[in-house]
Amino acid sequence: MNSFFLILLILLAGAAISFALGKISSIISGTVAFLSIASASVLFFTQLKNNTYIEFPLGEIQLQWGIDSFGYIFALIVLGLGSLASLYSISYMQNKERTGIFYFNFVLVITSMVGIIFSQDFISFFIFWEIMTWSSYLLIIFNKKDVKEIGVKYMIFSAIGAYSMLTAIVMIKGNYNTFLISDAIQAGAFNFTNNEYIPILLLIGFAVKAATMPLHVWAPKAYSNSPMSFTVIFSGAMSKMGVLGMALVLVRIFTFNANNEAILPNFSPIILQQTLAWLGAITAVIATLYALMQDDAKKLLAYSSIAQLGYITVGLAIGTKLSVMAALFLAIVHGIFKGALFMVAGAVERQAGTTDMTKVSGLIRKMPFTFFTALIAIIALAGIPPLGGFVGKWMLYESLITESNSYFLVILVFFSSTSAFLYCYRFLFGLFLGQEEEATKDVKEAPITMIIPMLILSVLLMVTGAYPGILFDPIAKGMETIGFNNVTWDMSVLGNIWGNSVNMIYVWLTIVIVFIAAFIFLTLKGLKGTRYVSTKDISTSGEIPLEHENLTFQINFFQPFRRAAAPMYKRSMDKIWNEIGSGLESLFNFTRKIYTGNGQTYAIFVIAFLVLMLLLKDTLFLN
Amino acid sequence: MEDLAIKILGAVLTTIMAFTVGMFYGGFVRKLTARVQNRRGPVVYQNFIDLLKLQSKTTNIAHGFMHHMAPIWMIIASLTTLMFLPILNGNLWFPNISFHGDLIFLLYMMVFGSLGMALGAGQTGNPNSAIGVTRGLSQMVGFEIPFVMSLIALMIQYKTTSIQDIMIAQNESGIWNMFSNPFAFLAALFAMFGMFRYSPFDIVGAPAELASGPVSEFGGKYLGTMMTANSIFSFFKLTLYVNLFMAGAGNINDVGIVATLIAIVILLIKTFALYMVPVFYGWVSPRYRTEQAIRYFWAWPSALGLIGIVWALI
Repeated sequence: MNSFFLILLILLAGAAISFALGKISSIISGTVAFLSIASASVLFFTQLKNNTYIEFPLGEIQLQWGIDSFGYIFALIVLGLGSLASLYSISYMQNKERTGIFYFNFVLVITSMVGIIFSQDFISFFIFWEIMTWSSYLLIIFNKKDVKEIGVKYMIFSAIGAYSMLTAIVMIKGNYNTFLISDAIQAGAFNFTNNEYIPILLLIGFAVKAATMPLHVWAPKAYSNSPMSFTVIFSGAMSKMGVLGMALVLVRIFTFNANNEAILPNFSPIILQQTLAWLGAITAVIATLYALMQDDAKKLLAYSSIAQLGYITVGLAIGTKLSVMAALFLAIVHGIFKGALFMVAGAVERQAGTTDMTKVSGLIRKMPFTFFTALIAIIALAGIPPLGGFVGKWMLYESLITESNSYFLVILVFFSSTSAFLYCYRFLFGLFLGQEEEATKDVKEAPITMIIPMLILSVLLMVTGAYPGILFDPIAKGMETIGFNNVTWDMSVLGNIWGNSVNMIYVWLTIVIVFIAAFIFLTLKGLKGTRYVSTKDISTSGEIPLEHENLTFQINFFQPFRRAAAPMYKRSMDKIWNEIGSGLESLFNFTRKIYTGNGQTYAIFVIAFLVLMLLLKDTLFLN
Repeated sequence: MEDLAIKILGAVLTTIMAFTVGMFYGGFVRKLTARVQNRRGPVVYQNFIDLLKLQSKTTNIAHGFMHHMAPIWMIIASLTTLMFLPILNGNLWFPNISFHGDLIFLLYMMVFGSLGMALGAGQTGNPNSAIGVTRGLSQMVGFEIPFVMSLIALMIQYKTTSIQDIMIAQNESGIWNMFSNPFAFLAALFAMFGMFRYSPFDIVGAPAELASGPVSEFGGKYLGTMMTANSIFSFFKLTLYVNLFMAGAGNINDVGIVATLIAIVILLIKTFALYMVPVFYGWVSPRYRTEQAIRYFWAWPSALGLIGIVWALI
């Protein structure tokens, strides 16, 4: 049997079986889900060769599936993160209700994403896209919290995206008489010359999933209210489907000069490109400002996801070699570190009961492995050397400064990523550091099936920091597939077009040497004399606090910053959408005055219409 | 092999020099401040005595792993940034590994220590430490904006992100950047006030208010190591500024001992002069509130930074 069908079949069967077994035991059901995703991944990475395609008819439409180097990048994220997240969810979902439904939808989301990657024609692309939307919708409302607000919001924005995408597909069929993506590209459907609505409508469809402003408002609550083991996929992989589509469309908008550097063909795409880049940067800034005001760790991470997707949008929209590479690199690395962080939040939620940072604190000594993962992932998220996050950030900055002349955009992006230090610290401090309180006295470390995926992800972050070339390799191949030529990369040297470079190996060497020396010195020196003391054994201005005194500092954490940045907190996209919503509502209320739903009113309408016809019959039906 | 030996020797020499200079500068400031306030003040080498005392204490207390790691993060940040910084222009002894890093890298590496320190301070559970940390991070968001603006201005001006190249370009044209792009220099100078945390920006430690803030639970070997790291880091920051805006240690490409010594003396004069700016400003200023400090950086310094970028573009 063909590997394409086999992979999807395994996944679908996994979904069905884990649904059926959900009634019996959540552990067995989860194990089945994990095994099906893992075996599908093994099959994918061993059996499928790049650039293989199959065609088959669906009614009168010829469908085409295949895998190219570009899709391969995203398959790495989806299947890699999918396997780890399903392993993680075995323990996470243990002892919860309705696990059958959860695993069914969980595996279905993975299936649909694999399907999107396979799709080489718009019909199957759209079908898989909708499966993804619906199954993720069912997971968002899985916790049955605020279903009306969160679920409806998600559905409305997904519908906006889906309809604009569908319109674009119909237009492509109408204009170019094809459903195949490659044919549409060949015909120039995306490059603004013939029909500028097609790329814009498609971009709107993808921007919804990539949570770009102003279409992001569904994201914070949807991310934070789903079960955490799904949010790992939701934020880590599913948002990247939007990135996939955006990259596919955006790169086609650029034309290429003799050296195959992307340049912009004419005026209107420059506006589009700049608009998108600025939207991305503003998304990053606003989401960061909101993230650092959150008291719930899950919400903090949700806002931070939106901010990170903003950077990716900036990179894609700028569209030079280095910036697209930065965007795709950030897409993968964001999948890794945000996956790890949501796993951490899930572990804390499972062990301590809540992720509210005003209630939990001082977990570091109780959950050391979870803390280690959180630390590594946060360093990567903040973009501090020497981990993978820094590599992506560096390339983004360098591409903005050296290649795009968007110097004011750099400042915006930089502001956002410096402010990100605040919420990075808040996350670690809120959950793991600070006073060890009575309430969290009995918290234990998470079970091993949750620890293993987290540790794997943190090791990956270190490896991608030292040898980013591991990821540059598939990314460069993928970029060559979508149109760039001669994408150069090096195993661990990052370079820009001015010829400046950073060698990650030297960075690692220096840090490791100093670390070892300092660690040995500090640990061995006075080893016997050094003793551990609790967090209550401190001196606050000479006063020694008593055991029952609560010294936790968590509420209004960044109050001075908020005061300083007060003007920036005044506006909120949510409010604007609500105003649009209430505007529409009053419009509909007005129409209710005509369509009252009362039979007698309608009868009056009919009679009035007939009278009108009779009166005007001479003018209307003359001759 | 010989090459490697020279490199290691150079790295060790750089570290020793940075440490000694940083400690002495600290001592000078203590002495000068005392004289200005009409006190006698400690001796110039008081910092060395303090360090010796701290390192020779036998009993220490630790609040856990991150608390133990905090000084280590700081010394990693100080030494790594120092190694990636060209100390003298074209000299055999002190290039270290500056060819393998650039400005954006240093910019990010510089916050490594503060964040590590913040985590260590967080684990102690002292509320004053945490308050100090939130203030410090907020202030960092403040001063990094004008700082990065002035760096962008320089990068655009010379079409390079390497410090070495910016230094060489200044020596070739003979005009220091503080004159060729005064707006960028002023923006960076204002940012420096925040970086060195003297009054009016001493809101992190805030004596008499936060009981020295983040460092309040560190003592003995921990405090000593942090003091060492801080001294090295101040030397790094000053040298970075001199390299970027004052053409480094001048145009001396000789590898001989005399030439090297002259270059070092020039560097010391320039760094000391630069160091006195935030110190002088601090003597005559009371302390800001945190939000005032942040707004201070977002107002004139950032405006100057923007003008600096435009200036570099024209």
